[in-house]
Amino acid sequence: MSTKEQRERIELLQGTLDLLILRTLLLGPRHGHAIAKAIEFNSDEVLQVEQGSLYPALHRLIKRGWISVEEGTSENNRRAKFYRLTPKGRRQLALETRKWDKLAGAIARILRPNSQENGP
Amino acid sequence: MMLRRKRMLKQLDEDIHEHIARETQENVDRGMSPEEARYAAMRKFGNVMRVKEETREVWSVVWLEQLLQDTRFGLRMLRKNPGFTAIAILTLALGIGASTSIFSVVNTVLLGHLPYKDPGRLAMLWGTNAKQGATEIPVSPGDFFEWRQRNTAFQDIAASYDHEVTLTGAGTPQLLIGYSFSANYFTILGVAPELGRTIGPEEDRPGGAKVAVLSDKLWRETFHGDPQIIGKPITLDGEPYSVIGVMPRSFDYPPGMQVWMPAALPASEANDYQHHYIRVMARLKPRISVARAQAQMTALSLQINAEHPATDTGNGVNITPLREELAGDIQTPLYVLLGAVGFVLLIGCANVASLLLARATTRHKEIAACAALGASRGRLLRQFLTESLLLSLAGGALGIALAVWCTKFLVSIFPNDIANLSIPRVENIPINLPVLFFALAATIFTGVLFGVAPAMQSARANAADILKESGRGATPGSRSARLRRFLVVGEIALSLVLLAGAGLLIESFERVVHGSLGFQPDHVLGVEVFLATNRYPENQPDKQRAFVRDVLRQMQSLPSVQFIGAASTLPLTGFWGETDFVVEGQAPPKPGESPSADNRFVTPGYFSTMRIPLLRGRSFTDADRDGSRHVAIVDETLARRYLGGSSAVGKRLNLGPQEKPDWWEVVGEVGNVKAFGLERPDLPTLYRPYDQSPVGLIAFTIRTAGDPAELINSAEQAVWDVDKDQPVFQALPMSTLADQSVALRRVSTMLLAGFAALALVLAAVGIYGVMAYSVAQRTHEIGTRMALGAEPRDILRLVLGQGARLTALGVTLGVFAAFVLTRFMASILFDVSASNPATFAAVAILLTSIALAACYIPARRAMRIDPMAALRYE
Repeated sequence: MSTKEQRERIELLQGTLDLLILRTLLLGPRHGHAIAKAIEFNSDEVLQVEQGSLYPALHRLIKRGWISVEEGTSENNRRAKFYRLTPKGRRQLALETRKWDKLAGAIARILRPNSQENGP
Repeated sequence: MMLRRKRMLKQLDEDIHEHIARETQENVDRGMSPEEARYAAMRKFGNVMRVKEETREVWSVVWLEQLLQDTRFGLRMLRKNPGFTAIAILTLALGIGASTSIFSVVNTVLLGHLPYKDPGRLAMLWGTNAKQGATEIPVSPGDFFEWRQRNTAFQDIAASYDHEVTLTGAGTPQLLIGYSFSANYFTILGVAPELGRTIGPEEDRPGGAKVAVLSDKLWRETFHGDPQIIGKPITLDGEPYSVIGVMPRSFDYPPGMQVWMPAALPASEANDYQHHYIRVMARLKPRISVARAQAQMTALSLQINAEHPATDTGNGVNITPLREELAGDIQTPLYVLLGAVGFVLLIGCANVASLLLARATTRHKEIAACAALGASRGRLLRQFLTESLLLSLAGGALGIALAVWCTKFLVSIFPNDIANLSIPRVENIPINLPVLFFALAATIFTGVLFGVAPAMQSARANAADILKESGRGATPGSRSARLRRFLVVGEIALSLVLLAGAGLLIESFERVVHGSLGFQPDHVLGVEVFLATNRYPENQPDKQRAFVRDVLRQMQSLPSVQFIGAASTLPLTGFWGETDFVVEGQAPPKPGESPSADNRFVTPGYFSTMRIPLLRGRSFTDADRDGSRHVAIVDETLARRYLGGSSAVGKRLNLGPQEKPDWWEVVGEVGNVKAFGLERPDLPTLYRPYDQSPVGLIAFTIRTAGDPAELINSAEQAVWDVDKDQPVFQALPMSTLADQSVALRRVSTMLLAGFAALALVLAAVGIYGVMAYSVAQRTHEIGTRMALGAEPRDILRLVLGQGARLTALGVTLGVFAAFVLTRFMASILFDVSASNPATFAAVAILLTSIALAACYIPARRAMRIDPMAALRYE
């Protein structure tokens, strides 16, 4: 039974990273290093993603068809792999974002029941 | 999937390398030393090996790895129980092998490739005439011309008719079975010739050039495959024809044809609605169904009826798709057999499932251990299904091997060349891709079918239940025991259905073969001859008379000949022609509504040779010859239906037109002859003396004291002694014809009986297995009962009672199912109702006795249980 719980916890973490990657790619195709930088920068460096863990996540998203990968050249003329959001990924992002908002709202209401009634 | 995985992992390496290089560069830009920068970048990236490992997992095929694991484990389990494995594989191999064999016949005969363009759009158009009771007769030229002009359903419509010719000048004279085709017939079929061309429109008109298209077989065998044959002249019926084409070997339409000639229908026949001789083939327009075409054509023929009230007496049309036409009489028997093997397969599955259930109960400790170690229910289910699929795959492989052997056997018993039935000729039954696909589907289907119940059963059980159940004294696996009893009831029911079907067919077969043909076919040789029309023209009947007289004289002197005779056509060789007649003193019927009779011309010796009994009056004599008073003999059916039964002799029949009567006086009445096979209804039959009305068709009959087959050569020689250029169409014992006429029935009865026997054995094994297992499980309980004073007789009654309850339930369900299902085979039964109570009762008793006998063995074992040993048991 313990294995199952462990797996679910891992999946939750992965799901969050997946969401962040999709959100980052909404602004346009990026290479792996740029995605890691963007997540760090946009979260005011609160979210310190271990950069390596980005790659299994990217591959998982490719397998699900939410992003695609293509060869390209970066700003300084180096060959690089660019990751691009697919239409399916765009739909998934919208769905996940809504789910996230709902979840965050629900957790917030539980943690601070009064602030909800008094308004923000 | 595997390729993509490899490519993605290679990309990952490049990507990681690239990433670290960028990070290093950024660090350098921030002022770190290159070494420091690289180290920081690596640290920030994390464990490269773990990243690679995790990514590999994203692309890995977990199920495949697990499958390999399950397979290895499954194979180990099967090897550990060789007895169980062998029985299960053998049972499945029998079921899959039998199903695959029968399916391969269906695939060849009913679904096989037809060498025509888009054969699904091809249909035969048959004539019908409700007033004459005709449902499938050739079409009159009047109808054909109207249909061709006015139909809305067909792309094209073509005419043909049979046209036998004698080929001379190319080796020994030969009678060729030929067809006359209108020019578009070949285009409708969409087949191109192998050499030359097919018939052109300029030849397909009266007075057009005389041309012939040869079959591949005729070209090879008679013309030695001459590549220069095109344009050469050949002699057919004494007239020169030039060869314009040779058809490919695969072209065999109508089946058995050797030569095709132009139909050249004369326009003068456009108003003839009474002579039915044209066989019509049509190609349906795209998107027009057979049903819609039928509706349109029926409407058209009603219009045509109304336009020609005097001559068209209600001619209709009956559209039959070509494939159905070709499959003809074998379709229903084949589907019945396919259903039967499906049942055998199901019974086999029930047996294997039952075995697996029993084994699963003994494996419950292993399962509990697996579950305790964290195997999920799904994982256990998969493990069990893998094991059952391994069994079914092994059974399937063996089954295909069995099918290869069986199809050879089925080819050898296939009822080819039966004059009275329309069955496609089958020379080989290939195990081709569709058949293999069927076998694979059957294999997987059975694997899942017999595997899923035991697997669910095992996977459902949790460790706690198992611990509880294995306590002393409780009945282990009571759920699984219930399931096994259910399976046994099911297989007994299925067996009963099969036995009932087989019983009904056997009953039909008995009635057919014991029915009287109306003549005695044993010890009679038939020699069929078609007189060549160039040397025996219709306007010189004396030549025909002389030929028959001379041949009969030659045959008379053959050794061991008892009687000889001749008739225009032999019984059991198909339909040759009818004649209309009007009885003297009766009101003249409307045109097309006269009674008609099967028309035969016989010599005086014919009835005694064939032993057709004379019922009233006299037989023909040599005095009934050309120039003497015209006399006729009628059969019982004609006498009863049209001549008032016993008073037939002395009545006169007019066979000519009303204004110019042609009178024939009935001098005798003979018994009915089943001329079209035992299962076909009797047609009224009219016999006339050959000498008074000679025809070009003649079949000599010789009754001998010995084996008629030994006379074949000398009988043919007798024909050639009279005319060395006259081909003999065929010479064969009448018993062969009689045998052939029941061949399809014999084969299908034999096969269905075989499958039913197999089902019976499997069901007996099934109930034996369940009862034996139940006795073994109840040893302790039985021992207790005996210790408490139960007699062995009580124990016997206890066990047999349980078996009898299962059997009774199965038999009852089976009777109901059979009652519903045997109706589908009503059309192939003969003289037996599909729910014949005697048959049902007989098979129910047979099945019950076999099942109880199977229960008796474990019951005796239960009786002999030593109470002391039993109580110590476990």
